[in-house]
Amino acid sequence: MREASDEELMLRYGKGDAAAFEALYRRHRLPLYRFLLRQVGNKDTAEELFQDLWMRVVNSRGRYEVRAKFTSWVYAIAHNRLMDFYRANGRASFLSHEESESVLEDLPAVEIAADLRLDRKRAVERLLAALGELPDAQREAFLLQQESELSVEEIAAATGVGPETAKSRLRYAVAKLRASLGKKS
Amino acid sequence: MIERRDDELSRIYRDAEGPRPAQRVDDNILAASQRVAGARGRPAGIRFARRWGTPVALAATVLVTFTLALMVFERQSGLEATAPEARRTDRQAKVLPAEPRADQPGTPSPLVLRPIAPAPPISQALQRDPVGQGPGESTVSRGGLGTGQPAFVPEVPRASVVFRKREEAKPALAPPVADAQSAPELRQQARPMQAPAAAPAAGALSESGATLQGSGVTAAIADRLAVSEAKERTPEKWLEDIRKLRTEGKATEVERELAEFRKRYPDYILPEDLR
Repeated sequence: MREASDEELMLRYGKGDAAAFEALYRRHRLPLYRFLLRQVGNKDTAEELFQDLWMRVVNSRGRYEVRAKFTSWVYAIAHNRLMDFYRANGRASFLSHEESESVLEDLPAVEIAADLRLDRKRAVERLLAALGELPDAQREAFLLQQESELSVEEIAAATGVGPETAKSRLRYAVAKLRASLGKKS
Repeated sequence: MIERRDDELSRIYRDAEGPRPAQRVDDNILAASQRVAGARGRPAGIRFARRWGTPVALAATVLVTFTLALMVFERQSGLEATAPEARRTDRQAKVLPAEPRADQPGTPSPLVLRPIAPAPPISQALQRDPVGQGPGESTVSRGGLGTGQPAFVPEVPRASVVFRKREEAKPALAPPVADAQSAPELRQQARPMQAPAAAPAAGALSESGATLQGSGVTAAIADRLAVSEAKERTPEKWLEDIRKLRTEGKATEVERELAEFRKRYPDYILPEDLR
């Protein structure tokens, strides 16, 4: 039997089907939680944002319409919630479109080191450390791509920027992460 | 525009141990979602009851009230339709038990003329008459007239009986003693009352009997008018009426009225001409 789509589940939940919400929640809880945790870097804050995010989903059940993918919609909520959090904590460090593109041009191509290819645990540690070093906007773009599997256009829509900006952020994030993992080619 | 993922980076990223939200966070979220869904997904019956309960209750109350009112009205109409003519006669007999001369010049209308006299006998007869008595029964056969009380009273329907008892509960509005002279007349009028009970055919009903059968509602209303009129009549007006009676040469009436007046107003000093 075909598995119900996210949108179908959300619509069913809007009609009072609590099981539909649970299915939706089980499907998206880990990616969303990881996305938030790796953005804010603090478990308590991540849990607070995570709970708040899902409560917004719950409270939006009656107004939900299928205009885009559920994933785009829910990550857009997560993005907005993060923006609120950054503003509240004086952490508005998103790079502008121009800055990201100019920086991108200077990045050299990087190969992942051979030893790291064999030692996955160390590679993971290095990657996560590098991820934490990225500017918020670039990290967000990378995390969105990894966790939500959104396309660049969808990432752009979810974060409220143009596709080119989203693409630049993403490419810059990838280049920086690769650089942290390896040797220069 | 499709930006290809860096598969190598993605593989390393996925090797990272996946952090999980705390169990209590899961529980909170799921509980909230179920609470909200539960509130929306209440059984249709409960939702219907909540929405329509009050209007339906109000409508039912109005309907029941209207039905009861209609039933009472129909019952009264039925009584009136039984013998409308006889009722009119009865009305006159009750209002003017001893002086049926309503068309005499200078004489007030029957309702205005002597409204007080019938009221006490009615009340007293009712006191002896059980409330549950049917409209076709008569207290005459049970000795209603033997005590010198008017016999037409018991035919009043139940609602009127209740009303009358309420009236009795008020301070005396009319003299309680029936006129000895009017008693024989009343006895005469009441005698045929037994006929409907024995032979209820319409043709067999005498005028008085029919009056007794159909007089209920109208009689009650007229009695009430008489009583309230008596209540409204001032001592001066009463004395004026007595003087008129004296002028007309109705000595017995004058005596009776004066007796009633003294009972009603024991402290009132009568004018010289009426002492």
